[in-house]
Amino acid sequence: MNGGIPNLGFGMGLGSATGSGIGGSSGNGGGPRGGSGGRSWPSTTSVSSSGKRIQKEMAELNSDPPPDCFAGPKGDNLYHWIATIFGPTGTPYEGGLFFLNIMFPTDYPFQPPKVVFKTRIYHCNADSTGNVSLGILKDSWSPALTISKVLLALRSMFINPNPYKPLVPSVAHLFLADRTKHDELAVEWTMRFAR
Amino acid sequence: MVLSEDTFLSPLIQKGQSQKQQSSIVGGGNGGENGGLFSPRFRSVAEMAGWDEESLLIASLVVEDTPERESKHKKRSDLLNFRTPPSNSRRKRRVQKKSPVSIPVTTLDLDEVEVPKNDVEKQKKEVIDLNSDKEKSKKVIEDDSKEKGGSLDESSSPAIPCIDRLREELSCAICLDICYEPSTTSCGHSFCKKCLRSASERCGKKCPKCRQLISNGRSCTINTVLWNTIQLLFPQEIEVRKAASEAAVEAAGALNNRDTSRRTSPRVSHYNARNGTILALNSPESEERRAGRRRDFRSTRSRTFQPSAAAISDVAGISNPTMSRRRRDLVASQDGDAALALRLQREEFMDTFRGRGEGSSLTFARANLRAMASRAMDTRTRRSRESS
Repeated sequence: MNGGIPNLGFGMGLGSATGSGIGGSSGNGGGPRGGSGGRSWPSTTSVSSSGKRIQKEMAELNSDPPPDCFAGPKGDNLYHWIATIFGPTGTPYEGGLFFLNIMFPTDYPFQPPKVVFKTRIYHCNADSTGNVSLGILKDSWSPALTISKVLLALRSMFINPNPYKPLVPSVAHLFLADRTKHDELAVEWTMRFAR
Repeated sequence: MVLSEDTFLSPLIQKGQSQKQQSSIVGGGNGGENGGLFSPRFRSVAEMAGWDEESLLIASLVVEDTPERESKHKKRSDLLNFRTPPSNSRRKRRVQKKSPVSIPVTTLDLDEVEVPKNDVEKQKKEVIDLNSDKEKSKKVIEDDSKEKGGSLDESSSPAIPCIDRLREELSCAICLDICYEPSTTSCGHSFCKKCLRSASERCGKKCPKCRQLISNGRSCTINTVLWNTIQLLFPQEIEVRKAASEAAVEAAGALNNRDTSRRTSPRVSHYNARNGTILALNSPESEERRAGRRRDFRSTRSRTFQPSAAAISDVAGISNPTMSRRRRDLVASQDGDAALALRLQREEFMDTFRGRGEGSSLTFARANLRAMASRAMDTRTRRSRESS
């Protein structure tokens, strides 16, 4: 179940969002499987510390992915990932599949990754260009956070939008004033863009 | 054989070795089949909740001798800073400062891990002799894992799952690897020393785990208990990381680095060479030989010291070629046991040097300040008395 659906999602992602199918699938299948057990990635090539950490995270994500989330390198570039999040059940985003781009800075664990929604979403914390206002991706980033924690935070953002620190004030207003209207619109957008 | 040689290094190491000997004897008593040498330790680790008396004893012995060694190395690092000309890049300097810290790691590892490994291999051979038809195909590298597996089957069942848990627990949240030279924050979270330092530099002085304020990321010290535990539990990983860090140091490609790598390599080879030279060292004549070497070492020291002090004042940090050549000659002329002598001499030299130079100047400065302060107070009180 857990293994099947995210892979399917990733395959769809390759079809719709990215162009490099071969590179992506090799990044998914070949790399982390070797590294999932115990000591991994012997330093035959000189990988920087950020690269090492990203590889470790990739192995960890593949062995123990967070619920309804998946992430992996987009192509050959280890620093450019693509992630998918399934809209959590019980929210207006249920049934939607949301794609995100993740760009790692070169000094990664010490600088937050840049996360951008590629799928349009009706949410007060994500604007039309896909930018996300999430504390841990900006000021309160900590090098002890990992991508799987970021994905979990994004998922909880779906469940509990924060209208008090909005990126789209109109959506936040509607969320506070008329929750049912907001939810209807969110469902509509999910049907239109995230199916 | 190997154990007795170590008695020359220092009484502290000797203590550790005798401990080892005891444990190996106990292991032998249990029977070589399950490789009893590792099992007490792993068993104690497995019972994570309550460390039993034996392991506590061992841990206390290990802890007892580490700070001593650390302090010695601090002194030695001072000496090194004098010896090697300063470079203007901050990173190089840090590497230079760091390298002596990584040296106790080698000695500690060789003392505490290599020796049991040899014993284990001996035991292994016995086992192979007993049931040779089963074991012959196994490689030497697999011995360790098999050892764990054997102890899992026979004595302590939670060893392997515990190792995985331990790996998780003892890994650094920043690099996601086993903590290398762990440093513990005031809030109780441990990270690699290097990771914690760069985190506090780039992300503010907050604990990466709980965001509590860290007093000062620069003054982070190694948690010796944790570091020793990690070294005992994951010797292979630590070896790999050590090699990687050494390679990084070499890749930095500075002149000082050539120096440090040479400093480590004679010591490693020295451990092998000691097998041959031990008889010579044991003889009564060797005492005077060492003393003599110490004397002439000191004279060479004082010769080399002058130019290096001059090099420090050199702002450009370009080392003086004649000096480096002399240093190279000095190092090249050292054979196996001379490295041992060099170590002893360095320590002694540092002791004497400290006693004369830095300590006295500090006390002088302090006394001067005190005198100035009292004089100032006197004048003030006098003035106030006059005005009133």
